[in-house]
Amino acid sequence: MLSTQNFRFTKVGQYGIYLAFLILCVVLAFSTPRFFTVSNLLIIGTQVSINALLAFGVTFVIITGGIDLSLGSMVAVTGVVAATFAHPDTYPLAVPLLAGIGSGLLFGAFNGLVITKSKVPPFIVTLGTMTIGRGLALIISKGRPVSNLSDTFNFIGGGNVFGIPFPIIILIVAFIVCTVILNKTVLGRYMYAVGGNESAARASGIRVGNVKMWVYTICGILSAMGGILLTARITTGQPNAGAGFELDAIAAAIIGGTSTSGGTGTMTGTLIGALLIGVISNSLDLLNVTSYYQQVVMGVIIIGAVVLDGFGKKD
Amino acid sequence: MPDFILTVNQLSKSFSGIKALDNISFNLRRGEVHALMGENGAGKSTFMKILIGLLTPDSGEIVFEGKNLHDSNVGDTLKKGISMIHQEILIVPELTVAQNIFLGREKAFGVKRGWIPGLLDDSAINEKSAQILQQLGVDISPDIKMKHLSVAQMQMVEIAKAISNEAKVIIMDEPTSAISDKEVEMLFKMIRDLKSKGVSIIYISHKMDEIFRISDTITVLRDGKYIGTKSAEELDHNSLIAMMVGREIGQMFPEGNASIGEEVLSVENLGKKGKFANISFKVHAGEIVGLAGLMGAGRTEIARAIFGLDKMDEGMIRISGETVQIDSPLKALKNGIGYVSEDRKGLGFIPRMSVKNNVTLSSMKRHQKGIFINTKSEEADTAQMIADLRIKTSGMDQKVSTLSGGNQQKVVIGKVLLAAPQLIILDEPTRGVDVGAKFEIYKLIRNLAENGMAIIMISSELPEILGMSDRIVVLSKGRQTATLSRQEATQELIMRNAVV
Amino acid sequence: MKTNLIFAALIATVLFSGCNQSQDGSSGESSGEKLVIGATMLSMQNEFIVNVSDEMEAKAKELGVELITVDAERSALKQVEQVESFIAQGVDAIIMNPCEVEASSPAVKLAMNANIPIINVNSETSAKPTAFVGSDDTESARIAMRYLAKKLGGKGNILMMHGFMGQAAQLKRDNGAKEILKANPGLKLLAEQTGEWDRAKGMSLTENWIQSYGSQINAIFAHNDEMGMGAVKALEAAGIKNKVIVVSVDAIPDALQAVKKGTLDATVFQNAREQGSKAIETAVKAAKKEAFEKEALIPFQLVTKENVGEFLK
Repeated sequence: MLSTQNFRFTKVGQYGIYLAFLILCVVLAFSTPRFFTVSNLLIIGTQVSINALLAFGVTFVIITGGIDLSLGSMVAVTGVVAATFAHPDTYPLAVPLLAGIGSGLLFGAFNGLVITKSKVPPFIVTLGTMTIGRGLALIISKGRPVSNLSDTFNFIGGGNVFGIPFPIIILIVAFIVCTVILNKTVLGRYMYAVGGNESAARASGIRVGNVKMWVYTICGILSAMGGILLTARITTGQPNAGAGFELDAIAAAIIGGTSTSGGTGTMTGTLIGALLIGVISNSLDLLNVTSYYQQVVMGVIIIGAVVLDGFGKKD
Repeated sequence: MPDFILTVNQLSKSFSGIKALDNISFNLRRGEVHALMGENGAGKSTFMKILIGLLTPDSGEIVFEGKNLHDSNVGDTLKKGISMIHQEILIVPELTVAQNIFLGREKAFGVKRGWIPGLLDDSAINEKSAQILQQLGVDISPDIKMKHLSVAQMQMVEIAKAISNEAKVIIMDEPTSAISDKEVEMLFKMIRDLKSKGVSIIYISHKMDEIFRISDTITVLRDGKYIGTKSAEELDHNSLIAMMVGREIGQMFPEGNASIGEEVLSVENLGKKGKFANISFKVHAGEIVGLAGLMGAGRTEIARAIFGLDKMDEGMIRISGETVQIDSPLKALKNGIGYVSEDRKGLGFIPRMSVKNNVTLSSMKRHQKGIFINTKSEEADTAQMIADLRIKTSGMDQKVSTLSGGNQQKVVIGKVLLAAPQLIILDEPTRGVDVGAKFEIYKLIRNLAENGMAIIMISSELPEILGMSDRIVVLSKGRQTATLSRQEATQELIMRNAVV
Repeated sequence: MKTNLIFAALIATVLFSGCNQSQDGSSGESSGEKLVIGATMLSMQNEFIVNVSDEMEAKAKELGVELITVDAERSALKQVEQVESFIAQGVDAIIMNPCEVEASSPAVKLAMNANIPIINVNSETSAKPTAFVGSDDTESARIAMRYLAKKLGGKGNILMMHGFMGQAAQLKRDNGAKEILKANPGLKLLAEQTGEWDRAKGMSLTENWIQSYGSQINAIFAHNDEMGMGAVKALEAAGIKNKVIVVSVDAIPDALQAVKKGTLDATVFQNAREQGSKAIETAVKAAKKEAFEKEALIPFQLVTKENVGEFLK
């Protein structure tokens, strides 16, 4: 008797976050008719896309046992860089995109390089680069928003393809690519190994430093995609954009079951985590709940999700 | 009827429908050392957890000093006088020795009676601790921090803590697993003292020699069942193993008939400051070279240097006659050197990953199509290893953390073998592995040698070294003191060279 | 970690103040009695504040006074420390663009006790300074809401987007807006929520509102242009911008462009140039012990498509 109960509880824990998400959606669908409409779902998808991209990036990092606090600053830097090249009738669309992604790649690679070469914990290194990035964004933009961007560039954030907002398409493609990297490539396997037991990974002949370099670089690229998306969505490159984004992204990954001690985590979990955060803030707006309560509700859900998740892993 | 301090009758306990303990009976005399033996998974730790009140039994009774120990929790059993010294010593490193001894009982002993209630009185507990430590013949100052002590000293403090609790029964779980031989002597002396004062000891260990040296009575469990209790004099090595594994093991070490081939590894004058110096030996294909020595002799350090885990300061390594520079495990593997570490949890496997993902970790190059993983070839290799090494799993996707110690060790060996080395270094390959699995690992090592693998085996168990090695390199304090052939080597000769 | 950061900040402050002092020395010798004014600004990441600061710089040059400008980075603590070092340097006057109503007040008291005139620019502190130069935020909201009321003919549904809850500007703009709402019973406040001064947040909030209220929305009042621009983006994406009036406050360049294009219906011009130059003027007068206005309120101006040309440079 006791054993079957334990068994069920474990199962609930394992799928807890998916279940919680499902229940929340059902409750919302009944409490406001405006929630479960195609247009609202598309809006949630769009609103979630930036955080989800960052969360995918930080999921890789957390799986290897690291952390990246510089996400928000990378969003600002890459957004401003992309915007600088995105004024109408200057460069073809590829230039701002490559410049933005390139700057994210360099930023991420710099994080990776310092972390692997200096042996300083990633928390401290990225705390430093977080500030550095914020400063760089202000320097590049001279402290002012970079506006007047071309329509083709703005399409990335505001356009539709067959009725589907472009950010959602980017989100889906990124999700598939990240899932494949994590589950189907040797690099993905090595990420789990490095996070699961770094010394054993090294003793197994894995180039731990290389794996980390890759992870932070990929995180930089995804942050750049988030930065470009944000810039195109608000049609300005803002040097102070993205402040605090890293916390939302880390929250999404953790809600989705990525363990901060490394070695576990899935992209699907992270996607659900990001959707959960997005659905909550969307629905609280729909229900016109004051922002004071929104913050409390969000905190309760973050802790609740992890506690629920913990039941599944206690064994 | 002898004077039993503790009587256990028909104790049973199940987890998820599986019987962990089935009708266990156990009698402990006042002032005896009673060894509890059994392979891993025999039910020893479940039994101990019930005794100290961490688990409640499904049925059966425990009578302690004539009273039924029913529904007791850890605090209760402690107060009544049952203490346990855990294998992983539970201490607070930042507190002093005295503070650790009286941890949780500050109210009763360490509070000043002044006008501010509740102030701690360190001098009182220091004094009391000094008394107990002196009684035990231990030279440790009660006011130094725990973190400055050696493992053996920490153990002494744990025992002191038990004494201060006026323990009548002390359970010791693998107390010698992390201490040196000299310290073992001290521990045994202390156990004899306690015995003479009427304290009973339940002693759990895998080490046969110790069991026969220290215990009066031996009880054997197997698969959760009570097998029997005998006095130590009635038993010898073979009959005890027979009780534990349920069959007579005719020959522990399988006969080897590998033909020794060409030189695979040659090391010359290896040295690392403060660890070892002037180490030179050769290993040939099909040959097993044993590295013997006491703890701290530098055996593992040499292995780590050859495998590229640590940098060495001087010396040369040659593989099949060619000089190689090895500065990382990756380089070592590329040069055909594999290493199975003594530190299985730390360096061996990734606990959260599956058997498959662990086994193929060092050989992903072969299972790669571009940047993608070739799942088919990966699964084929894993299935092969599971079959070859007889790894007991529910499937190749089972997490390694849920396997038994012996099977975890096989997974690590499998991983190293899949990297296709010419030379494999086995560092304490049977540590923490039960008797049945030990025999299988010995057979495996023989098989590897017969197939032309060069093998370096490090072991602290002399019979193992003697039984398996073709040649034995003896180390003492980082120096190479002897190189003995199988024929000339004896336990005495090795020991003499190991303590030079 | 934190102490390290503070330590680093201290070193930086000392270094910078050192630089400035040496500057003083050299320029002081050449031009004799040159006045020195220290200014601490809320945040140099805010475009409006940067505009105020630029104008102060220009005016100081014109009047031939030395201006040392530092960035408080939205930290009241930092601001107080900066004022302390100004006092230690013996500046002739201090201009403070306060971070917070209460927490920046000690800086005012410190300066007053040291007999150095201190002028608050743009926003207020609870402690009374030597003089205040700025605009009344309540009035900006009144202007915006009156415009909405007129446009809607006194009847319609309004959504209000707040700044960071609890900040002086948010509280005052809220009060001003609520006043006008009370005076026009035909106007109904459908919902109000914070957009945290942020364009992306304002955009998301508007998207969610559109889901909630759809065609019921007649107008949106945003506490600043950033959020107003976000609202415009969301309304345009939903294809209902022509049905909803959007008004915000600050008249940042982006918003002026939008007013010109007709996407943003109106913004309220807060005169950064005027605030900046007036602050310097007042500081110089106070330092020279000449007569000055205790409270110089720079009037707001409503900017619509008709008059936007005057504000575009």
